Amino acid sequence: MNRSFAVDPRLDLVIERFIDAPTRLVWEALTKPEHLKEWYMPRPWGRVSRAEMDVRPGGIFSIDITVADGREVPNLGCFLEVVPMQRLVWTSMLFPGYRPAVFDDIPITAIVTMEAVGAGTRYVFTALHRNEADREQNRSTGFQQGTEIAVDQFVEHVTAMR
Amino acid sequence: MVQSAAADDVFRALADPTRRRVLERLSGGPASVSELAAPFDMQLPSFVQHLAVLERSRLVKSKKRGRVRTYEIAPARFRVVEDWLTAQRRLWEARLGRFDEYVKQLKDKEAKA
Repeated sequence: MNRSFAVDPRLDLVIERFIDAPTRLVWEALTKPEHLKEWYMPRPWGRVSRAEMDVRPGGIFSIDITVADGREVPNLGCFLEVVPMQRLVWTSMLFPGYRPAVFDDIPITAIVTMEAVGAGTRYVFTALHRNEADREQNRSTGFQQGTEIAVDQFVEHVTAMR
Repeated sequence: MVQSAAADDVFRALADPTRRRVLERLSGGPASVSELAAPFDMQLPSFVQHLAVLERSRLVKSKKRGRVRTYEIAPARFRVVEDWLTAQRRLWEARLGRFDEYVKQLKDKEAKA
């Protein structure tokens, strides 16, 4: 399948993995709310308190997370592309039904591609991030822009270390 | 590693919206107590207590020059967020680690059924 997006290594992340399990199960675990609840949050970060997924283009992607300090963090977006057992694309930049979204602290477009390799599955997870013009400056001054983002991340990190 | 007591201090410090706004303000550069207090409708002693909580958590540090106390971000505590992408990667690596485990469990369940 043609890749219709470009990865910027300064902004985006790509994680490639192999699972010794059939593609059918990988797809199922990725697209069914009752499964997603089980893995979506690394335990130290929090847990999924509610998940709703209508896996078709424009369909709802909604995951409410209860973080360690009890806060509820909603994640709302929509699916953009659904090719069963091959490719799933969703974004938090659009609400369900392609409605332009309100500001999200770390909006992403997530792309998962998968293919059968022998009896297993190779998958690639890609997260595209918005271009923050001064990310470089952020890095050099440590903590300048997007402070809320940084604080949230920091809380996450500290939670993970507990 | 941040020890648990230090983590508690940081959590307490970040839990309050006033203190988060102070951190945002300080992220633009050092500021005096009165500059920091100006946007808030709050008695100075209460506001100073917020600053004390932040300083105890070591998210900020202060210097006194003459009669003016100036606060600034203490970068050590925030170093961990400097590389934003690293933090994102850590989250997704952990997430997909659980994903893989979970898919394997599904597979084992099917094999037994």
